[in-house]
Amino acid sequence: MKRALKIVVWMVVALLGAGAFAKIAFDRGEPLNATWFVVAAVCCYLVAYRLYSAFVAAKVLTLDDTRATPAERHDDGRDFVPTNRWVLFGHHFAAIAGPGPLVGPTLAAQFGYLPGTLWLIAGAAFAGCVQDFVILFCSIRRDGKSLGQMAREEVSERGGFIAQLAVLAIITILLAVIGLVVVNALKSSPWATFTLAMTVPIALLLGLYLRFVRPGRVLEASIMGVALVLFVVVAGQWVADSPSWSRVFTLSGVALAFAIIAYGFAASALPVWLLLAPRDYLSAFIKAGAIFSLAVGILFVRPQILMPPLTRFIDGAGPVFAGKIFPFCFITIACGAISGFHSLISSGTTPKMILRESHARFIGYGAMLLESFVGVMAMVAACAMPPGVYFAINSPPSIVGGAGEAAASTISSWGYSLQAQTMTDLAHKVGEMTLWNRAGGAPSLAVGMAQIFSSTIGGDRLLSIWYHFAIMFEALFILTVLDAGTRVGRFMVQDLGGRVWKPFGRTGWMPGVLISSAIIVALWGYFLYQGVVDPLGGINSLWPLFGISNQLLAAVALVVATTILMKMGRMRWIWVTLLPMVGIVTITMTASYQKIFDANPRLGFLANAKDLARQIHEGIVPAAKIAETQRQIFNYRLDAAVTAILAVMILVLIVEALVHWYAILTRRQESVLHESPYVATQWAADYSGAAHGDD
Amino acid sequence: MRRASKTTARLLRRFWRGLREWCGDSAYESYLRSPHTRSGACPTLTREEFYVEQLNRRYSRPNRCC
Repeated sequence: MKRALKIVVWMVVALLGAGAFAKIAFDRGEPLNATWFVVAAVCCYLVAYRLYSAFVAAKVLTLDDTRATPAERHDDGRDFVPTNRWVLFGHHFAAIAGPGPLVGPTLAAQFGYLPGTLWLIAGAAFAGCVQDFVILFCSIRRDGKSLGQMAREEVSERGGFIAQLAVLAIITILLAVIGLVVVNALKSSPWATFTLAMTVPIALLLGLYLRFVRPGRVLEASIMGVALVLFVVVAGQWVADSPSWSRVFTLSGVALAFAIIAYGFAASALPVWLLLAPRDYLSAFIKAGAIFSLAVGILFVRPQILMPPLTRFIDGAGPVFAGKIFPFCFITIACGAISGFHSLISSGTTPKMILRESHARFIGYGAMLLESFVGVMAMVAACAMPPGVYFAINSPPSIVGGAGEAAASTISSWGYSLQAQTMTDLAHKVGEMTLWNRAGGAPSLAVGMAQIFSSTIGGDRLLSIWYHFAIMFEALFILTVLDAGTRVGRFMVQDLGGRVWKPFGRTGWMPGVLISSAIIVALWGYFLYQGVVDPLGGINSLWPLFGISNQLLAAVALVVATTILMKMGRMRWIWVTLLPMVGIVTITMTASYQKIFDANPRLGFLANAKDLARQIHEGIVPAAKIAETQRQIFNYRLDAAVTAILAVMILVLIVEALVHWYAILTRRQESVLHESPYVATQWAADYSGAAHGDD
Repeated sequence: MRRASKTTARLLRRFWRGLREWCGDSAYESYLRSPHTRSGACPTLTREEFYVEQLNRRYSRPNRCC
């Protein structure tokens, strides 16, 4: 009876999800209500978790709860700490959820709401969650080894080397592109710049408090810090209203880029307890609060979706970034559907803290489903604003013809009606000088979030506060990724340098710290600067590069996962990781080819460089701008070279994997699985971490 | 009524403990409780030492994603 009832309940959930999906996909009448998105997403996630993840856990991975996990075998209270599964879920989610699932879907909204939403839900269920889950499982079985170590041991030395290079590439490009998102969010905005600038002294204050006054009392320090941050969000309005202070905090894109570069260097070189860690604490609390509030706000307000399901820009001529749905929707929405970077978390901290193998399903698969839901909410927030406003905020001036009447007329000619006055009024309401040409996703997402929040609390009166709260929230945790990423990059540079000259590898040697910090900051800083001065808006070049490098890492992770399944003798179920791998490689290779060789100058880097060279040759470029244009030509060629290197790395990895798989399947090579030996758990079946404070 | 308040108090206690564990507030207590520390194989760190050492370890590997 109970079983029959369960079946009925799951059938209802499945039918509800299918119905909501059908409504989203086929409805062409009145604007849709956002509730349909929430229902479709949640029902699909529930069914995917209940059925697909259970299948992967039972049949493909055969999780074994009688086996002691690394947390039990090596419990040292430092890295290996048995942790309650709900707490670990929170840890893991806080680690994987960055700006990607917010910015990517917002940018991909230029195709309309449908392609991005479908990819977010299906991509997560069949690719992203599977990758996170399987890599987490593999790492648990190998004492918490990293992806690079597993690639080296299970695939080949070269596979491990490619994984290392991919991590360095992704860190460099990721930091540049998220830095650009912050620059575009803060440009000419004294309120937002002041708020974000003040988070630095607040973090320093917290750092000193946690180090010298009340060591390690993270919760009380974070509560104080969050209160101070909320105060500076409000205080930003006073700064914006004061003509003298407003001038101080009104910065150009280039000035902001240099400020962010200097910040990255400081955060990497200073002791971690002083700036980086306290900012991370602040960011974690504000991130959790803002995402939760956005979910509640969407359910409470139930906004209408004003963006059409498909826009005219599916033809590849989009103003936000160039390229057709395939492959660019799948490259733009990386995190939220599948993100290779997650495999570094799944094979880093989390496997060392997991209590039981069966928890890997809830934590690996479940946390990624939640991240996908964050992506769907970002899509809703972006699509709930009039499409004309969306394109006005996200299009670079070179595409729409600047700002004001001319730009409004261009956008209206695309079929998305817009009055210049609408943008002036909106900017005034949110307390900004202008909202034109703010590519990067953060300002449009902040407008969407502010409209949802203000419909819940405060109305138009609080719109400006909510907007700047949303900007602060995005910028704060983007900078947290930026400083943590710079520090990790610094260690990688020191590690590489240490192989050439030993003292350089010592993490406590100050000249080594300063030089390696300068190298990693110079690497991403160059791309950031290039993005800021790019007339096409920077996002057009850098975001696809970031997507490609992120998916390269996903390809590495899925190759490792497929190889391990093969060695475990699970040939029957190999498609679980093999199909996502084939999909990701196809997407990434197509995108790389188009970004390098496409004849459209807005899409192909080489065509763009060639077009600019032609303009110089024909005398179209004024003499004063020739040097600048030549720099742009160099930058586009550099972007083409970086894309080509990433594509070659994918090809080498695939060839390497195919050779290895062929050798295993034909028994030319012994299939050696590098798992830790089986040790039976000593914990009782119902043990849930009681010894560690959870009753 | 009394049972409901007891259940609420227990849930709140759990939430509080979970929150402390999630944000790292109780990391030192977990360290002191771990078998490795109790075995006395290595000198036990003070709260200050543990805090700094833990941060240095945590932020030397990817711990925040995109």
